[in-house]
Amino acid sequence: MPVIRVGLEDFRRLVGLRLSLSRLREEIPMMGLGWERDDPEGFEVEVFPNRPDMLSPEGLARAYKGFIGLERGVPDYVVKRGFYEAYVDAAVKSVRPYIAFATIKNVPMDEEVFKSIIQIQEKLHISYCRNRRKGSIGVHDLDKLKPPVRYTVKPLNFRFRPLDSEEEMSIREILRRHPKGVEYGHLLSGFKYCPILEDSQGMVLSMPPVINSEYTRVTLETKNLFIDCTGLDWKTVNSILNIIATSLAERGCQIYTVKIHYPYDTPVGKEVETPDLAPSEMKLPLSLVDKVFGEHLDAEEVVKLLAKMRFDAVKLSERELLVKVPAYRVDIMHPVDLVEDVIIAYGYNRIEPEIPQFATIGGESLLERFSSKVRSIMVGLGYQEVMTEVLTNPRDLFVKMRVKAGPVVELENPKTVEYTVCRSWLLPSLMKVLARNRHREYPQRIFEVDDVVILDENSETGGRSLRKLAAVSIHSEADYAEVKAVVDTFLEILAVEHRVEPGIHPSFIEGRTGFIKTLKGETIGFLGEIHPEVLINFGLENPTVGFEIDLEAVMRLKGFGRRP
Amino acid sequence: MKVRLLEGEMQLLKALEKLNGEAYDERLVSETGWPSDKVTTMALNMSERGIVKVSVEEEVWIWLTDEGLRYARMGLPERRILEQAMAKGGVEISKLERVEDWEKPIGLAWLRRKGWGVIRGGRVEAAGEFPKGADEKLIELIASKGKVRLTELPEELRKTVKTLRSRRLVETGKVTRRLISLTELGWGVLRGDVEVLEEVSRLTRDLIVSGRWRSVVLKKYDVSLPSYRIPIGRLHFWRDILNHIRRVWVEMGFKEMEGPILETCFWDYDALYVPQDHPARDLQDTFYVKTPGRGRLPSPEFVDKIRQTHEDGWTTGSIGWGYKWDVEEAKRTLLRTHTTAVSVRTLAALKEAELPAKFFSVGRVFRNEKPDRTHLCEFYQTEGIVVDENANMKHLVGYLKEFFKRLGFPEARFRPAYFPYTEPSLEVEVYHPPTGRWIELGGAGIFRPEVVKPLLGRDIPVLAWGLGPERMVMLNYGLKDIRELVMNDLEMLRRAPVWMG
Repeated sequence: MPVIRVGLEDFRRLVGLRLSLSRLREEIPMMGLGWERDDPEGFEVEVFPNRPDMLSPEGLARAYKGFIGLERGVPDYVVKRGFYEAYVDAAVKSVRPYIAFATIKNVPMDEEVFKSIIQIQEKLHISYCRNRRKGSIGVHDLDKLKPPVRYTVKPLNFRFRPLDSEEEMSIREILRRHPKGVEYGHLLSGFKYCPILEDSQGMVLSMPPVINSEYTRVTLETKNLFIDCTGLDWKTVNSILNIIATSLAERGCQIYTVKIHYPYDTPVGKEVETPDLAPSEMKLPLSLVDKVFGEHLDAEEVVKLLAKMRFDAVKLSERELLVKVPAYRVDIMHPVDLVEDVIIAYGYNRIEPEIPQFATIGGESLLERFSSKVRSIMVGLGYQEVMTEVLTNPRDLFVKMRVKAGPVVELENPKTVEYTVCRSWLLPSLMKVLARNRHREYPQRIFEVDDVVILDENSETGGRSLRKLAAVSIHSEADYAEVKAVVDTFLEILAVEHRVEPGIHPSFIEGRTGFIKTLKGETIGFLGEIHPEVLINFGLENPTVGFEIDLEAVMRLKGFGRRP
Repeated sequence: MKVRLLEGEMQLLKALEKLNGEAYDERLVSETGWPSDKVTTMALNMSERGIVKVSVEEEVWIWLTDEGLRYARMGLPERRILEQAMAKGGVEISKLERVEDWEKPIGLAWLRRKGWGVIRGGRVEAAGEFPKGADEKLIELIASKGKVRLTELPEELRKTVKTLRSRRLVETGKVTRRLISLTELGWGVLRGDVEVLEEVSRLTRDLIVSGRWRSVVLKKYDVSLPSYRIPIGRLHFWRDILNHIRRVWVEMGFKEMEGPILETCFWDYDALYVPQDHPARDLQDTFYVKTPGRGRLPSPEFVDKIRQTHEDGWTTGSIGWGYKWDVEEAKRTLLRTHTTAVSVRTLAALKEAELPAKFFSVGRVFRNEKPDRTHLCEFYQTEGIVVDENANMKHLVGYLKEFFKRLGFPEARFRPAYFPYTEPSLEVEVYHPPTGRWIELGGAGIFRPEVVKPLLGRDIPVLAWGLGPERMVMLNYGLKDIRELVMNDLEMLRRAPVWMG
């Protein structure tokens, strides 16, 4: 989740109060932000992904002023009709169909404002804009360009001077060599033409969503801004435009619209004027507030709490409010989102705790109850429980155990070679534990009761978890008689009638390997003396014996039924 | 007069009697066939009770070195030189026979020192005939016996030992032996004049059954001696905590629910109203599964409700995410990223008649992270849900405070948080008395109508909260590195104090 940096002096200036860090440290988290760290110059807060409107000091200050009662309700932004126009070419429709603009005048540019303009673009890009895929922003020095602008496409050999470059480059070169081209070029891969925004003189403003041009660079001398937002859907494009425009308005700038001529339909027609900062409206049933909150709140109280969160609300009836949602609040999709803000404004820690009195019957699952029994039997037999991971790799799971690679659940995108598949049996996990404990006191007797994951065509996911028990014993005297005694005793305690038949398993010594069968002939496990080659593979120097049992098969035998 | 006798001590006394009441320890070892430390310990024990007397003797033994052995065989080098000089009336040093080069300087030096001859211009002239000296006699004597006691040597030869030692022809060593002799009391015990109380160290079945335990004295032990280590079997200390958490849920009336580790995107994400382009669904964060690659979805009617909810909110009262939902994306398989997938499956299977209902789960979840000090790619989560027509925020806060109190945290406080599937959402901080700090321990919320309505058919409040138990284990055991939990270091597993929650 994105973290933004806020200068303390700048924040004091925006709020208009000599705020102390200790006060902010207390209050800001209660608005729904994570306090990351602070220093005498400023602080860093984590902004939750549903509130991109707080990705700037201006947006944060706006919310904070409401929260502490300095300002109330929807901020009143004056949007003046501008005379600038923009034209969209039909060719962009298949590449990056939507664009929206705003003109911002009289920016009180200084270091802090400059940093904020950079920060909000960067943070919006990585979070809400999904790394520029859904939307991207270009901020330009208005006085360096000549409207009207045109949103069009150009072939790959088209040249202009991208930001931070000494020379002109072709689009192809930018995508190949320019750092931003390398980073975001994949968003344009496969296209023979790339989107270009140019002014009336043919001067390039930007190549969305990759890079701006050097010609319209914003500097500390910039007074007026021209903003473009492009993207794949109309809503995202306008959301980010509104967030940036209103943030700058918090600095006292004036917002002017831009008239855009589309050759194709947008959700609001072909002739469009942006930004549209008119609040949207949502009905809020007061019963929903009471229901979620758990106590009755008067309509007046709810209106007051909403105003604290910068909404305007009026009573439609005794049962319903009409809430005006500011254009920068992109997270309000259901009345319940308004209810949450009401409760945040009320204060989470002022809520009276209450536990309702009604009866429900608690209980552990059969599988866990059975697993607990098994664990206590194994502990009684002198075995130490270990807890290992489900994720492993074919080397540990098969090769070191001398068995042929079998069917296994395999990851698509592992990050390390250590974890690439899910274990299909438990013994290899225990051998790894023994390998790690070579320097620890012997004898070592360990067991694990846990899940493996096996492929199963009948399951809706193509595989399923299976609960198993495995145990190993390593010491100078370990032999088949020991493990046979443990297996027999274990199954005797569970009253499972069984017999052990000779068989072949490459992990065990031939002639010292047994398969555990029920009287009906179902194989439920195996046991034996671990093959010396396996011991060497795990760096072990003492005889080792072990066994593995399918606990779900045992549960079925005992009439416990099948695992859900 | 009474005397306590331990098992075997009478046997040792009888052996001494046979040897006329006095013997060295090595003699007693051969007499009894016991290890020598047993004989010594027993004798020293009895000497404390005045039954025997133990006197320690230190003896010096002498034996020849390799060089000494050579001279015993061939004669001292100065003797060999003298003999040749005598026989030939002087001899060239270079012509000497049976004298190695390295022996020449030694032999010539001693020849001169003993006054047996003179060396002039590379020739040796004998000064006369000389009889065997004490050193030669001593070498012969030692050689004949192999090893001799200093005390066995004739008086006149004892001084010579020093000379031979300085020539490194002999070595000496000290050997301790104990002379054990019967005292008057000891003789009395043997004669039967003194009453004997039998003292035993081990209480045996024979003693108990025969009733002899009444007449013997049980030896007193040093009860403070360090003990040996027992090879124990016990549960993993982490299991203690998981069991404790399970117990707390059950005490609060929650029923355990279960779900698969291998899951479809549909249940892990889509049914939770997590949009398909949500960053958590990236390859960077989620373990997708190559084999088996695609899962089956539930009934088309149900899947369609999920699709509509994502696209335009369906009938939930929401405007939805406003994008085109892809059914193929929902079929992808993954390792579940949270136990909330289990809650969702439970809700989908829940019948109206079962309400109100409370469920919990404890299970493994997976995140595509490279393990480090604070992250594992595989860890546990526990989560509970309350499905109740009347559930609300006050209840949620009430349940949370009670739940965390039972987990061992006396106080809990809450902050607004964000999860795509709950609204309102809370972050839970608990007070940890040992460190005096507030610690982020869990998340909570009320499921969004967009989640609940497609699952239950109508918007019934569902409270949900959960936490990662690893955090609790680390706090309790003061672990600095989360990977220690999966190391399974047997020393740690055997020694870790039990969880007192």
